[in-house]
Order: sequence, then structure tokens, then C-alpha cells
Amino acid sequence: MSALRSRRHREWGLAYLLLAPALLIFAVFTFYPFLRNFKLALYQNPPYPGLPSHYVGLHQVGSVLASTSFHQSLVSTLLYVVMVVPVGLIGGLLLAVAAHKAIRGMAWFRLVFSSTVVTSVAVAAVVFGTLMDPVVGLLPWLGVNPHPAILENPTWALPAVSLIAVWQFLGLSFVIMTAGLQSLPDEVLEAARLDGAGGWTMFWRVTVPLLSPTLFFGLVVGTIYAFQSFGQIDILIGPQNSQFTHTDVLLYSVYQALSIQDNPGVAAVLSIVLFAILLVFTLAQLRFLERRVTYAGD
Amino acid sequence: MVLSRHRTLLPVAALGAAALLLAACSSSSSSSSTTSGGASTTSATTCSPAALSGRTSPVTINFWESMPRANGQTLQALTDTFNHSQTKVHVNLVVQTSYDDTWQKYQAGLTNGELPDVVQLQDTDTQGAVDTQSILPVQNCIDGFHYSTGDLLPRALAYWNLDKAQQAMPFAVSGPVLYYNKAAFQKAGLDPAKPPATLADLVTAAKALKAAGQGGLGLKIDPWYFETELATANQVLVNNANGRSARATRAVFANPTGTQVFTYLDQLVRSGSAGTNSANGADEFDNLLGVGSGKYSMAIDTSAALGTVQQLLSQYPNVQLGVAPLPTVEATPTGGVQPAGSALWISKKSSAAAQAASWEYIAFLDSTASQTTWAAGTGYIPLRTSAAQSSTIQTLWSTNPGYKVAYTQLTSGIESDATAGAVLGPFDDVRTAVINAEDSMFVNGVAPATAVAQAQTASNALITSYNQRIGS
Amino acid sequence: MPATDTAVRPPAPAPPAARPPRRRHRRLRLVLRYTLLSIGAVVVLFPLYMAVVNSLLAPSQIAHQPPPFFPLHPQWGSYRKAWTEGDLAVYLRNSAIQTTIIVAGQLVTSVLAAYAFAFLEFPFKRTLFVVFLMTLMIPFEVTIATNLSTVSSLGWFNTFPGLTVPFLATGFGTFLLRQAFLQIPRDLREAAQLDGYGHFRFLWSVAVPLARPALAALGVFSFLSAWNQYLWPLLVTGNDNSVRTVQIGLKQLINTQLDQINVSLAGTVIAVVPLLILLVVFQKQLVRSLTSGAVK
Repeated sequence: MSALRSRRHREWGLAYLLLAPALLIFAVFTFYPFLRNFKLALYQNPPYPGLPSHYVGLHQVGSVLASTSFHQSLVSTLLYVVMVVPVGLIGGLLLAVAAHKAIRGMAWFRLVFSSTVVTSVAVAAVVFGTLMDPVVGLLPWLGVNPHPAILENPTWALPAVSLIAVWQFLGLSFVIMTAGLQSLPDEVLEAARLDGAGGWTMFWRVTVPLLSPTLFFGLVVGTIYAFQSFGQIDILIGPQNSQFTHTDVLLYSVYQALSIQDNPGVAAVLSIVLFAILLVFTLAQLRFLERRVTYAGD
Repeated sequence: MVLSRHRTLLPVAALGAAALLLAACSSSSSSSSTTSGGASTTSATTCSPAALSGRTSPVTINFWESMPRANGQTLQALTDTFNHSQTKVHVNLVVQTSYDDTWQKYQAGLTNGELPDVVQLQDTDTQGAVDTQSILPVQNCIDGFHYSTGDLLPRALAYWNLDKAQQAMPFAVSGPVLYYNKAAFQKAGLDPAKPPATLADLVTAAKALKAAGQGGLGLKIDPWYFETELATANQVLVNNANGRSARATRAVFANPTGTQVFTYLDQLVRSGSAGTNSANGADEFDNLLGVGSGKYSMAIDTSAALGTVQQLLSQYPNVQLGVAPLPTVEATPTGGVQPAGSALWISKKSSAAAQAASWEYIAFLDSTASQTTWAAGTGYIPLRTSAAQSSTIQTLWSTNPGYKVAYTQLTSGIESDATAGAVLGPFDDVRTAVINAEDSMFVNGVAPATAVAQAQTASNALITSYNQRIGS
Repeated sequence: MPATDTAVRPPAPAPPAARPPRRRHRRLRLVLRYTLLSIGAVVVLFPLYMAVVNSLLAPSQIAHQPPPFFPLHPQWGSYRKAWTEGDLAVYLRNSAIQTTIIVAGQLVTSVLAAYAFAFLEFPFKRTLFVVFLMTLMIPFEVTIATNLSTVSSLGWFNTFPGLTVPFLATGFGTFLLRQAFLQIPRDLREAAQLDGYGHFRFLWSVAVPLARPALAALGVFSFLSAWNQYLWPLLVTGNDNSVRTVQIGLKQLINTQLDQINVSLAGTVIAVVPLLILLVVFQKQLVRSLTSGAVK
């Protein structure tokens, strides 16, 4: 009896030992920072390091939430997400549908379509930045000559950086949609085809509803991806001009508050808002869309 | 995965609530002491020759400087002279690539402890440097060494003097001047010996030159010019005596003078007789390069660039360079041009010996001989009357009168809070607000009065949040 | 609704007159499909293609309007310049070190944790599992404020530990591997136990080899995420090149080589080509890791 118990205790010990490295990292670099944000948000920080910060309670939270720069940041972020995610998903879906046939050369096409997955935001930014440059880029040739230049333009800068994000997202979107298409139950598709469903009807009435779990997954992944991207804005527009060009998305505001303005308190407030929005988005998508998602068994 | 989410989330939620409660209840407020104007008054620290006496080996100090290559060489030569001329102090020059870099590194040093003994900081970082509470006002050394400041240009000293205490010593001082192409003036039928003296004249001249096919004005969108125009009309940028008698709490530049300056700028750009470029970024020098290529016949820029500009434009046969004072907004200026550039600051964290050593070096750099060499070699304004009267400088000015313009500007007009220049914490952010306002005017057609008012409103918000963060 | 049994369905009568048009119709659709595919490929590849083209042009040619779409006299010097003057070699080395550390760390911690969740029973197992789950809900961006100060106070600013340690564990990886471990049949485990296999031996000799596909998928995913990181290296690396990664290096390149766009683009191409090669080789693993949550 005691031998069994000591063996079980040893197993417990082993289990905790195995979990310890990951838990330690999570404790120090995930949970503690997340919770500490709530404390940081209550302290106002001086503009220079080495000086003490003082407790201001919810005053800082209030002033950040009421500030026009925060409102602009929110609007920019939402516009950005709306521009990036649907276009990226639809683009990926179209490419996946086009590539969903076992014909010659398809493996190469699939490789090409998924290639943007490996591009980093820096690569995408430099590549597109050159194409959008008013002097050396392609825009003048296309007859597009906005004044000021597109990346300094309060109206067109945000769509421009959204385009870069869409291109980068296409690869991931394609991969997800392809996997979804490949997992569709052939019997149902075959049955529908034999029932006389052609092209478009097939697509809208059968394929898309069956794909809804995948679309839903893509929506979640895409939204999170859009909220996390700001690299191309940093490289091509920069912190000085992001407010003027309306490209100061929420995460970029967090970065600027933290790194440029030396203001961890404000960064913490903005982080919490970002987290809350993501949480609400994900939960809302889980709640409302999952109801609409039809599974093959229905 | 079947999870009884509620049961396991509860302990974590409790943890979160506890953390929140703990944070909210803790009222560990710390007071940050700031004096009026945010200026450090003279402290008990003695910066005096006594700190250097009785030493067997020289005190080594580190100097972070931000001079571009050519000027950096002149500075190195001066430093070598200093090091070889005495055995008490040895100076290590540490080259940072730009004023911004130096300031960033300095702030980083406040946390990681890597700080210099002497540092060259740009004008707009003055209030910031004071607010870091890490500098020793040089007034301490002036008193401890019984240093006489009478020969130094009063306005240059005044810029870095807060609350009657000298915070730093001016070193590389310049002013905005009008570079113009005399040949282009002649071809357009304008008198090259009479460049535009007022902004109204500037608009007229630019239009005439453009119409004659000679190119108008290369206008760099730099708020520094706007601030200087206000100073020439004896207008302050911010309240509380331009931030000098007490910490500035709001911007006050959206007045008739400010509106007038914006109006002239607007007229220049709208009439097509001025092209714009930005003050930093790839097109930073487009205004000057344009004078060379014939795109422009006039450009406003810093007198510190004179040497480079002369060298650059001498390559263009169609260009005969002229240098004139900055055209003012008033017909008869009631104020004067304020100083710009950089000064030398002493760190509070250095030992008393290092601080005294730093002062010896600074006093050397601001001496007549050094200022003569420095001004002649770089184009910066000689900061001592005796240096200006030296034969080297007098010869330079007679053979190359362009070098005299900035000096004349800085020494004419009145001494006032306006001409001493503004002192402001979030100076860079306020400048960005002015740039945005100018952009909105040029690009989106916003009316000048509205634009300058918008800049002021934005600036007030920035100043308020900065002051809140400082805790005053 | 039960799945229809296609075998018992009577074959649909094919009208004889419809045969020839259907074949032509099918060919037309094939051509249409290839056209669409080609358009798609051009759209996707175009930016990278132009980057390569421009990297091979002399700076004066790049500004030429209309823009050249093919380098008639390719200038390979830009690549050499990006490599040496652009310090790309250093950046690539730093990225390689940073990525290797993170991938190795994530693999190790995930394998160990997944093993515990899959094969061991212990108190608070469910709670700890939820704890791992919650890490998926906390995006990294929300932790940067404190992580920056933690890393600074540990003296890890601008060092490899600072770059890598916050990322050495992943909830996603743990779940992926746990899933794979759970696939291992019970009998195999029991047989190993009877054979006297202790946990470590079982892990090393049985579980890990059997979970190799999942490990490969996780490896590829970790590699990509680590290599393409932007926010954290931006925050934690300083102005010298000691640990600057290639992503931040590209930003530096574009800022300093303002008049040498061909060099910036050459640097970009150098930065992305290794990954493209890896994509070709590891495409299957990549797809598996990216879609591990897609298919229900």
C-alpha cells in the first residue's frame, strides 16, 4: 500500500518537475506582467527614467480613455481590421477554391499561394514601401499621384498599410482555407453535385456553409493577426507621423507609449484595452458565429 | 475537452481581483520636488578649483559630443590642445551620431548608469535636461571658479539661464539665415545686394523669381523658423515669460503675429513660388540642393551649414551664393533672433573632481582663443565679443561676409524673454504639432488662422500632459 | 441526416446529345481555372518579384519611369553591399541564434509538459491545464510593459537571454504535443511499462519518435514565429549590432540606405530567401501546424 502511494507521489513529483519550466516562464513572462498592468495603469510616470512615479488612481485611466488620440487610435484600429480580415479571408478562399483540384502543376501553385506565410512584416514593408514610393515606385506609372505621397497621406496611408497586411495574410488564409476544403466530406459534396447543384449554387449553398467552421477559425486567427500587426506602420510611416496619417493603431500606440514616451502607465492602460477588445471579439465570434456555423453532421 | 471552466477559473479570478485590490488600495505616492520654472537652483555642491588641487594624476572625464564629421575634427583638435596644455584634466571625446542620439543615450544612461561627465545637448532639450534632475547647473562652477561672463554674448547665455541660474554653457550656436542665388536675382531683374528683409518682401521676391523662371523659395517645414519669427517680433512662444520665470503651462503663439507668419508661409506655398520639404527624412536637404540645381533661388536654413553650403554650391556655375539675415515678419523688428544650437552640461552624478575638471574644459572651449578657432573652423557664432574682434574672425568676415550674418542677428535687437528663446518640456512634440498644422495648411487648405490655432490647442494638451507627468 | 449511400443510387441517365458540349465545357473550365490560378500567382508573387528586379538595378535606373520590369544588366553588387555594409551577415547570425534558442526551448518545455498532461496523473492536473489554456488568451502585446522592465532589471537588455527567455514556453505547443501523445495506443504504453520502461526512457524511445510529425510541425511553426518577430526585438535590442535581428536590421537598412534602394531590397531578398527554401522543404509540416485548430 505504501509502496503504491510512494510511487504515486513520485509520479506527482515528476509531473510537477516536467511542468515546472513552462510554468516558470508563464508565471514570470505571461501572468505576472498581465496582472501587473492593472497596477501600472494606476501610476503616472515622469517623462524621464530615474525619477519616481506617483499614484494617481483611476485618473490616468480616465484621461487616456477620454483622450482624442485614444479615440483616433481605436477608429484606426477598427478600420484597419475591417480592411484586412475580410479581404484576406475572401482572397484566401478564392485562391483555395481555384487550387482545389488535382491538376498538373497544382503543387507549384499551392506553394506560391502559401508563400507569404514566411514573409515577415519587415520584408513585406520594405518590398511594398518601394512599390509605393512616389519617386521610384509603380504608382506614378499607374497614374496614381496622391498629394501628399500615399504613405504620408491622412486619407490613404491606412488603406496602404492594410494592403500590405492583406498580402501577408493571404498565405495563411490560403493554407487555412485549403485545409478546410480538403476536410470537406466528399459524400455530401458528391450528393449535392448529383442532385444537380452546379457551380455557384454549389459554392454558396453547400461549400461555404460546410466551410463555416474553417471560415470561423480564419476569422478568429485573422482578427488576432490584424490586431497584432504594426511593423509595417513603424517601418514605413514611423512614430512621428503615425498620428497625422491616422495609422496609429492600438498596438502601435502601446509601443510608442512604452518605448518612445517612456510611459509604462499609459502603455498598461492601452494594453488592457487591447486585451479587452480581443477578448470581446473572440468571445463574440465564439458565441454568435458558432451558432451559425453548420457542421457536416447537420 | 470537457472542462468545468467555472470551478478552475475561480481561483485565478480571485487572484486577479486580489491583485487589483492591492494595487488600488496602495497609496504609495511619492513626491517629486520641482522648483518654480523647474530649474535647479544652485545647490550646496562646490564646483571649484579646490576639488582639483592636490592631485597627482589627471582627472579623466568623458565628453559626449554630437558634431558631424568636419566640425567634429575641429572639436577634436581643440580637445587635443586642451589635453596637451595642462596635466590636471584629460578629456575623452565620445562621438554620438546626432543630437537626438545623444539625448536618447543620455536618458538610457539614467537607468543603466552609463552617463558622461560633460554632454552636448541641443537647445530644445533644455527643460528636459533640467527635469531629469541629473545635471549640475554650471552656475555652481561659475561661482566656485569666480568666472567672469561679461565677454560672452548675453543672449547666448540667456537662453540657457533659468531662474537667474546658468544651467549650461552655450557652445555651438547658430541662427536661421537666408541663402540666395545672386545670379538668379540678377537674371530676374532683382537687386542682388538687396535681398528680401521682411516676409512680405520674401513673398514678392519669390513670386517674381518664379515668374522669371529662376525658381522661388525652398521652404523647409521646420518650426524653428516660426519660433524665430515670433522672437524677432518680440513675441513669446509659451507663457510664464517663455517658460523662464516658471514652468510653461500653455502655448500662446496663436496671436496676430503667429497668424501673420502662417499667412505668409501659406501665400508662398499656395502661389506656387515655394516648394516644401521636411526637416528630417530623405528630403531634408532638398531646399539647399534645389538652389544648386536651379529649382529654387532662395532657401532658409541654419547658419551652421554655411561651410557645407558654400562647398556644395561652388560646384554649380550658375550659382553665386549670397547670405542674408532671416526675413522678419515686421518691417522694423521689435525683438531679435533667438539663439539655437547646443550647450555643454555637467552631470550631477560625477564626482566633485570630475565636475570641476569638466568646468575647466568647458571654460577652455568658451575661451577667446577656442571660440575664435571654433567659429572660424565651423561657421558657428563666436560667443565672445573678444573672439569676434580677433583678427582671424575679422579677416574671415571681410573675405566671407556670409559668416558674419548670424553673429549680427544674434547681437542686434533687444534682450527680452522672447529673444532669449522658449524653454519647454515637450518641445519636440510641440514642434510636431506645428509641423502638422503647417502641413494641414499647405495640403488640406486649412486657413492660416485656424491652423495656428489648432497647433496651439494641440500644444496645450501636450504641455498639460507633460506637466502632469512631471508632477507639478 | 444520415450520409447518403451513393452505391445504391441509380446512375443518372446521361442524355447522349450532351456529351460533346460537356467535354468542351470541361476544357474551357480548365483553361479558366489555369488563368485564374496564374492571375493569383502573379498577384501574390509580384511584390517579391519586383523586389528582386529592383535589387538588381542601379539606383539611377530604379527611379526611371515607366518602371523597369526586368533587369537588363543585373548589378549584383547590391547583394555584396547589403551583406557587408548592411551588416546583413551579422543580423542573420543573430536571428539564427535567437531562433534556435527559442525553437529548442519551446520544443523541450512543450514535450515535457505535454508528457505530464498526457501520461501522468497528479493533483490539480485540470487546474494546471486551464492555466496553460489561459496563456493562449493573453496575447504577448499585453505583457510587454512589464516584460521590458523585468528584462532590464535582470540586465538582459540587448542580450540573447533578453531576446529569447520570455518565449521559451508555449501553450499552443503543449497542446499540440499532448494531442500527439494521446494518440499513442494504450497497449503500447502498458507493454512498455511491463518491459520495465521508466518515464524518461518511454519519453525518449517511444513517445517522441512517434510524435515526430507533431514535433516537426511545432518546430516549423516556432521557427517562423521566432524568425519573424518584430515587436520584442525592437524593444529589447539596442543601437549596436550585438544582438540585432534581421527584421530590425532591415528597418535599419531602409533608414540608412535612403539613396540605395537596391541595397535595401537586396537585404530584404537575402532575409526572405532562406525562409522560402524552408517553405519548399517543410511545406507539409507548416500546413499541419497552421491548421491544427481549423478542422473540427
